[in-house]
Amino acid sequence: MTGYVLRRLLQLLPVLLLASLGVWAMVFAVPGSPVGALVGENATPEQIRETVARLGLDRPVLEQYWFWLLSALHGDLGLSIQSREPVAMLIAERIPATIQLGLSSTIVGLVFGIPVAIISALSPRGWLDRALSGWSALALGVPTFWLGILLILLFAVTLNWLPSVSAFVPVWLDPWGAVVNTLLPALTLGIYVSGIFARFLRAALLGELKADYVRTARSKGLRERDVIGRHVMRNALLPFVTVVGLMTASFIGGTVVTEAVFTYPGIGRLLIQAIDARDYPLIQGCIMFILVIYVLMNVMVDVLYAYIDPRIDYG
Amino acid sequence: MIALRYPGAFLGVTFLAVLLLASFVAPVLFDLDPLAQDLAAALDPPNAEHWFGADELGRDILARVIAGARTSLVTAGGAVLIAGAIGVPIGLVAGFFGGWRDAVLMRIVDVLLALPNILFAMALIAVLGRSQGAALVAVGITGIPSFARITRAQVLSLRSRDFVVAVEAMGGSAGYAMFRTVLPNAWSPILVQVVILSSVAILLEAALAFLGVGIPPPAPSWGEMLRTGKSYLYEAPTYAVLPGLVLTLTILSLDTLGRTLARILEDRADHAGDAA
Repeated sequence: MTGYVLRRLLQLLPVLLLASLGVWAMVFAVPGSPVGALVGENATPEQIRETVARLGLDRPVLEQYWFWLLSALHGDLGLSIQSREPVAMLIAERIPATIQLGLSSTIVGLVFGIPVAIISALSPRGWLDRALSGWSALALGVPTFWLGILLILLFAVTLNWLPSVSAFVPVWLDPWGAVVNTLLPALTLGIYVSGIFARFLRAALLGELKADYVRTARSKGLRERDVIGRHVMRNALLPFVTVVGLMTASFIGGTVVTEAVFTYPGIGRLLIQAIDARDYPLIQGCIMFILVIYVLMNVMVDVLYAYIDPRIDYG
Repeated sequence: MIALRYPGAFLGVTFLAVLLLASFVAPVLFDLDPLAQDLAAALDPPNAEHWFGADELGRDILARVIAGARTSLVTAGGAVLIAGAIGVPIGLVAGFFGGWRDAVLMRIVDVLLALPNILFAMALIAVLGRSQGAALVAVGITGIPSFARITRAQVLSLRSRDFVVAVEAMGGSAGYAMFRTVLPNAWSPILVQVVILSSVAILLEAALAFLGVGIPPPAPSWGEMLRTGKSYLYEAPTYAVLPGLVLTLTILSLDTLGRTLARILEDRADHAGDAA
């Protein structure tokens, strides 16, 4: 098992190296000099000298990449052009907000997705199944940003129940305020997520329902509720774990867009603000950070999956 | 009747046909200037003169939705073209030759696939600057992996079939075997992919514009209209709702069409198997 985990982590190296090379090279592709892109136009000569020295911008190109990578690995992502504050700190400030949005959307996704999947798997191809698969198609097809706008129109503009702009209120400081502020963004992203959950879990359930042990359980007179609850769900939930992981991809895109709809102060909004301001150190930092998280999440899911399912050979 | 057997797809095709007609023919027949301002009508709700209402500068929203459709369809079309033109040959070569070519090409594709596509597109636009070309290229590149993988899978299953081996045995070149023998038999999943990717490309382009990094204003784009309309939800709720509705219907139509196409082609392949 330990060997498997190590091997999976090793496989990451080329991906992360290539990605970091791409992110680092960004400033060379920008019109103008890379120094200008990294310190901004109104930098003082000292700031320029400092940056050149710190990033080794007077050295050969490969050495420059090495410098950049080393300091990034030490958590030093440079200074933001706009605020002159450390990029790593700016990112760290936004992490709790994005995590809170991600977790609450997952909960919404599970609350909607699991019942939809179970109900439609119990009567495959029945009218209820058709209606519910229509729900999944809609949940996945309707653009998140339009859905968010519709929800704002209903709950904020018309009913006046919830705010149309969501601040980040930490759930551990003010639970009620957190619910009020996070509900709409979580619903927006969560409905999309429920579509993925429902579609996948339905397929997994249908596959399990055909298995021999289900017939055995039924023929010994077990109630259908127990057959589903005790036997089928346990096996069907297993591959489900991977989906939760695969979702991180759509999640990341989803959070960036959802944060924009509700002007919610997460990492996605930080990245957009950075692009708007052409704040390249901040752009590089945000992208690199999101990438690392994304790739690590994927590995974690693989490992978790291997851990849950002893049939998987991780030799 | 094919329309009755696949009602969803029929509706989808009808909607897409209307959209195409509206975006390419209507501007020739009617006076639809997406940039003409009528400040007295600013933020008017839908009425007889402005069917979808007017935006904050008094521009006709319907005219802008129609012009936005053109932007959207051209960007998506170009993106799919780029993705296909690069992805299909990659999959073809990787699947046909196997070995180190396969390993190297697919590793590159995997890295591309390992990145969330919206993030990749945003990074690319941060470098290239905002323009229709940048959006088109960024969206196109994110589509390469799916074309490469589908083509490769298809080629692998055809590679050792008798008719391909026969071409090689008769001295046909690798290029001939690939492009004239294998590719024509691999087109159906690729075609399905074209439809699916068009929907993904339209959504991604709109999302980029909504985030403010897509095609720059004043060029009309659905995502940009949603972005601006969001600021006027109290004054003019239809401003953001109607362009979003057209965008959603377009995406749903393409999705349904893609799924139906996949099913028809699968059925046909099954029947072909029965006959053999």
